Amino acid sequence: MIDVKSVLEEIKAAPYEEIEIKAPHTGVVTFEVKETGVRAVAPSGAYLEKPGTLLASITRERNVKPLHAMVSGEVATIHLEHSGAFVEAGTPLLVLRHYLTKDEVVAAILRRVLHLFCAPERAKYYFIPSVDIKVKAGGCRAVTVKPGMELFIVSRMKREKPLAYDGPEGIIYAVYFQHDDNVEAGQALIGVCPENQTGLIQDVVNRVHSDWEERN
Amino acid sequence: MDTEKRIAELSERLGYIRDIFGSRENANITLLTSKLHEFGEREPLASPQEAARLVQQLEDLFVFLEKKLDAELSAMDVVRIVRHPHRVSLKDILENVYDNYTEIGGQDEYSIDPGMLIARAYITRRRGDKVHHQPVMVIGQEKGHGQEFRNGGSVKPWGNAKALQYMKVAETEKIPIHTFVSTPGAFPVEDYPGAAQQIARNLYEMAGLKVPVVSVISEGGSGGAEAIGLSDARLMFSHGYYSVISPEGAAAIEAGTRQGQRVPPELITACAERLKMTARDNLSMGYVDRIIQEPHLGARPYHYDFFKTLRQEIIRATDQVFLSIAGMKFFRAMALGRHKDVSPADAENMYVRWTVDEAAAERLLWRRYRKYRCMAENAFVDSRSPTKRLYANVQGVVWSGYSFLRYDFLGKQEKRLSKALGEVEGELRVVVDKMSGSLRKMTRRSGPAVCDAEKSRMLTELSQPELGACLEDWGWSYISPRAREDRAVTCPNMKQSGCPDLWAPDLFGDFAGVCSHCGHHFPMEYQWYLHNVFDPDSLHEFNAEIEAGNPLDYPGFVDKLEEAKKKTGRKSSCLTYESRIDGKKIVVAVLIAPFRGGTVGAAEGEKFIRALARARKRHYPFLAYVHGTAGIRIQESLNGLIQMPRVTMAVRRYIEAGGLYLVLYDTNSYAGPVASFLGCSPYQFAIRSSNIGFAGPGVIKETTGIDIPPNYHNAYQALTRGHVQGIWDRREVRKNLKNALLTIGGRNLYYR
Amino acid sequence: MISKKHKVLVANRGEIAMRIVQACRRLGLDFACVYTREDHASGHAALARELGGESRLFRVSSYHDANEILSVADHAKATAIHPGYGFFAEDFRFARRVTERAHPLVFIGPSWRIIRSLGDKINTKRLARSLSIPTVPGSDRPVYDELEAEEIAETLFAFQAEQGVENSVVLVKASAGGGGMGIEEIHDIDQFKTVYRRVRNYAKRQFHDEGVLIEQRIFDFNHLEVQIVADRTGSGIMHFGTRNCSVQSTGRQKRIEVAPGFRPEEIHYAFDAKKVMDDIVSFSLAMAREVGYDNVGTWEWIVSPMGQPFLMEVNTRIQVENGVSAAISRIKGAGGVDIIAEQIRLALGDSLGYDQNDITFAGVGIEYRIIAEDPANRFTPWVGRIDRFTAPGREWLKFHSHIPQDAAYLIPTEYDPNLALAIVWGRDLAEAKARGISFLDDMVLAGEDQTGASLKSNVAFLRDKTAALLHF
Repeated sequence: MIDVKSVLEEIKAAPYEEIEIKAPHTGVVTFEVKETGVRAVAPSGAYLEKPGTLLASITRERNVKPLHAMVSGEVATIHLEHSGAFVEAGTPLLVLRHYLTKDEVVAAILRRVLHLFCAPERAKYYFIPSVDIKVKAGGCRAVTVKPGMELFIVSRMKREKPLAYDGPEGIIYAVYFQHDDNVEAGQALIGVCPENQTGLIQDVVNRVHSDWEERN
Repeated sequence: MDTEKRIAELSERLGYIRDIFGSRENANITLLTSKLHEFGEREPLASPQEAARLVQQLEDLFVFLEKKLDAELSAMDVVRIVRHPHRVSLKDILENVYDNYTEIGGQDEYSIDPGMLIARAYITRRRGDKVHHQPVMVIGQEKGHGQEFRNGGSVKPWGNAKALQYMKVAETEKIPIHTFVSTPGAFPVEDYPGAAQQIARNLYEMAGLKVPVVSVISEGGSGGAEAIGLSDARLMFSHGYYSVISPEGAAAIEAGTRQGQRVPPELITACAERLKMTARDNLSMGYVDRIIQEPHLGARPYHYDFFKTLRQEIIRATDQVFLSIAGMKFFRAMALGRHKDVSPADAENMYVRWTVDEAAAERLLWRRYRKYRCMAENAFVDSRSPTKRLYANVQGVVWSGYSFLRYDFLGKQEKRLSKALGEVEGELRVVVDKMSGSLRKMTRRSGPAVCDAEKSRMLTELSQPELGACLEDWGWSYISPRAREDRAVTCPNMKQSGCPDLWAPDLFGDFAGVCSHCGHHFPMEYQWYLHNVFDPDSLHEFNAEIEAGNPLDYPGFVDKLEEAKKKTGRKSSCLTYESRIDGKKIVVAVLIAPFRGGTVGAAEGEKFIRALARARKRHYPFLAYVHGTAGIRIQESLNGLIQMPRVTMAVRRYIEAGGLYLVLYDTNSYAGPVASFLGCSPYQFAIRSSNIGFAGPGVIKETTGIDIPPNYHNAYQALTRGHVQGIWDRREVRKNLKNALLTIGGRNLYYR
Repeated sequence: MISKKHKVLVANRGEIAMRIVQACRRLGLDFACVYTREDHASGHAALARELGGESRLFRVSSYHDANEILSVADHAKATAIHPGYGFFAEDFRFARRVTERAHPLVFIGPSWRIIRSLGDKINTKRLARSLSIPTVPGSDRPVYDELEAEEIAETLFAFQAEQGVENSVVLVKASAGGGGMGIEEIHDIDQFKTVYRRVRNYAKRQFHDEGVLIEQRIFDFNHLEVQIVADRTGSGIMHFGTRNCSVQSTGRQKRIEVAPGFRPEEIHYAFDAKKVMDDIVSFSLAMAREVGYDNVGTWEWIVSPMGQPFLMEVNTRIQVENGVSAAISRIKGAGGVDIIAEQIRLALGDSLGYDQNDITFAGVGIEYRIIAEDPANRFTPWVGRIDRFTAPGREWLKFHSHIPQDAAYLIPTEYDPNLALAIVWGRDLAEAKARGISFLDDMVLAGEDQTGASLKSNVAFLRDKTAALLHF
């Protein structure tokens, strides 16, 4: 059992996450945000149809691509030395200091509470089709996993093989991998909540909701 | 006591006047206000008789000044009258105009759509000492004096569907229909059956209703009005409005404001004027047949005299329609006709049977078609020379004659003959197949395989050398000008699908504007379709001389039109062609987005109708290729709006004559045209790039407050809702059209 | 001579990128390289740094994104782009973009129209037939009519029977397909209708095109190819002999290539092997002349056990196995031929400077593709860390690898696990084989994966296959 309170205090000591925004590809950078301290907002609207704050744009082959903030936060660093210059892919452009929301704090604590099932090797992971349908229709918590149950398709170098789940029986509480992205070996794929721990998780959620103040 | 009541009434009347005139200062209103105020100060001092006399004086003053004010009403004031909660509503009319009624399918908020009211009612008439109850179906929007649940008479798609259902009931029962139009516009949601699609269905059905329809317009708001407005006699309240768009809507478009921004009120007032939306305007343009005079400053529920007038007007209008299609009618028609402007009261005393037989129904439909066909005929510019026009008319007659000979006269004989021959051939085939089958088996068993030297050559030598070594057909006949730019383009689905940036010449050239990774369709120019879908050099444009005009002298619009004509090199947004697809002849009408958003006005409607007539006369299938349309051209107001029923009727005439009417949407197709002559097609297809609906996201947000999802109108949603019948990839449009002609073109269709 | 002001952007990775850089250096040309995050430790990045410094190396998001390549090319002031093999090598749209953009560059490869024409297999087949060059018997255009299709299939069975083919098989392919999708075989004409309709419906669903190809299936063939080298004029067209690439993985990927294609001097064949080689060379040259071929390319052939050659396809690019042809080639008697350098030089407009008579051949070359994979398990790629990988230094050996020799290397999962190419030369086949075996024995290759299991490679498979090389 973990001490939720102390973990929460720990997070409160550093209540933000620094998100580095890198050049998605090569090109010439123009900064739309000129100084640090500017507040950036995340995408909004009922369908997230309004993009977040325009932070910078990158021009490649006469095509201007806007870089919008994907999360809210304060601009902590701007690499203005790149302004108007050609950058390589992956060059750090800005740092956003993002204050954690309640949901993110809950997720961070849960990562310590839940049983994590990790990637055995570096590869792309997918749910098997029958599970994928359930996840898409009812969210991941609609899926109960049992040890030995075939759960993933591991895709690596154009070859695919199945992967069975190993761990306690329970529902999938969180999914940590993204479609079509490589997962490093040892990275958590899913967080599973055994039946007898649902109370504890509810406790985490309640505590965070009463104790955590959102700052964005 | 009595005085108090009368004073209360007067102050209510004053409040109403203030509402109507809005923020405008007016000496008469000031006078009334001060007099009423004065009276309030003095009244306690006066004796009851004195008070009564003063009240009487005051009342007379009100009557006098109301009359004066009535003459000063601006178009915008009329709009405020119509929207005022005190305005007479359909319930009042049912109570006071008809002798008895039963409401169908609604009790206040308990209704599939409380904004649409349906009732069976009757009018009692005496002939001599006999009493006749003449039944009618009454259909109309109910605003309900401010009842929230009526939604201000803005009817949802299912409300319009209900209206249609009962029009069909009336048709079965052979009773006339009275419709009362009182709507600011339809509720623009796409939930099944969909605002646009349902109005289109209503119009299509109303075009063929075999009972007379008399409509009375109080608030004629755009497409919502047309949903029940197509009629044989069109009456309008003197203080009503009938317009393609609300003045606010027109002003917002004119000012180019975005959602949530305020439009200056002076512009709104000006737009109300420019839209020529009053009863007098509509009468002079010929979109209504008669004005029903209301009391000064508009009819309210206590104007009992008005209901009497209304009753007589409606009876007379209904009588006239019946008489116009009846076999025996002379004297009564003359009586009604000659005294047009005397007193309609006579109508009540005359008796006309409200029944229709088959022959009368035919006459009714033809009369209805002619009535609409003749509307808006002067609202466009026809720059053809008189000889050219004459020639076109003669050509039409020749085609009709030829078609009659070819398809109706000879065609029938031919069919009979070929049918007989077909049967004989079928019989023979069975016999031959049996014999040759056993023969083949015998030969195959006997002896080793022998390879015909001639045949084996086709396995190793170049086949069809006349085609050349390279069979591949690289590229398209028309290449978008955007394919000339050296730049990369980002697909809007990049985030979800991981599409790479594409080079413009690849994307807009080879790929026909389709993302090679996710299949997203970028919009393309209409020329792309004209030159890549139809057979090369098979496009023959006709009626290109018919030109969009400015029938309402809408200020500044001539310049905008000129600009559009210069930019596109076209004279209207509708282009009509005779063309071929894989050798099959076809008539094509195109609505092009670059010409004022592909909006439809009198010229476009006329061209569409003429193209339909040409296809009908020549027995060709008809394709409406909608590159894009933003709706009815608002600057033409009713001249544009009337194209909804008008063109729909022409479509119906074409389809009933046996034509195959295909509609293909491409980019953004919204509003009036979709809610009428396009949406009524049983075969509507959409290219993947299309968005189809009644109102765009901004309008939906503004009128309903609903935030719609970004993909609300896209083709897949339209397919899911049943609004289109299929979605086509742009690169396969030609192939799919060919296939549609083959599979949908059947026995009763022009394409054989 | 070519202008030394040219700068070549290498739009590739690994071994081929390194060889292009080396060829540029030989020609005295400047170069620039690209790499991705996953490839930061690849030898080609190290070589670029070593020979050109940081300013010759650019990190991109993907090798597959043409915009990245061109944006780097412009920024680096490159004048030409070498696509290597794979990625953009046979993408005519890329070649067209490179040469037709507002700031045009030289595409080191054939002109885009040639890539387009010969990139289409049906086109290639028709072009060949128009020159009476043998192709696989069957249709040479998509067939849409069922009766016509059946007639072709029927004739194909009769044709094979007449030719004495024992096990006649006819392939029905979706003409718009590729990569083994939508192919079925029939053994009897009675199966035809069902199979045809299945393939046609599949093609219609999958590719929106009902066209079907009908071809004879050739069994037990040898895979030969002809190396063509041409200058930009389209008239100076030479060949650098033949190669035999018949040793392949289960997925039809080449594992060993031998030059020349057959060795009648040492091995007895059931047919006139020299004539077959001469024929495919002259056919390939004829076709190259017909299209005005203007850079390096490879004509791929299959040869039946009876010695009949059929043209399969044309690869309009430099191939992995170019080095094995170079190993046996002599220009005006001199060795050290570098076909990649020739490709660059000719693409930049230089003239050949020799004719066919100046090109002679000596000995036998064998190229081994050393790959981390498990031949016993359908050649499944192995992923892990390479700890030691060294090749013995021999004057008869050329060893190309992007794996660093001095540090452990993690195989990136994004790309094929090719480790090295080893080209062995011998005066004759026997010597080449013996040297090949000795090389494979002396090479050190070790590593382990995340579970601690040791590296799997195809070395044993290569050794096994060496004995029977060029036997047919």
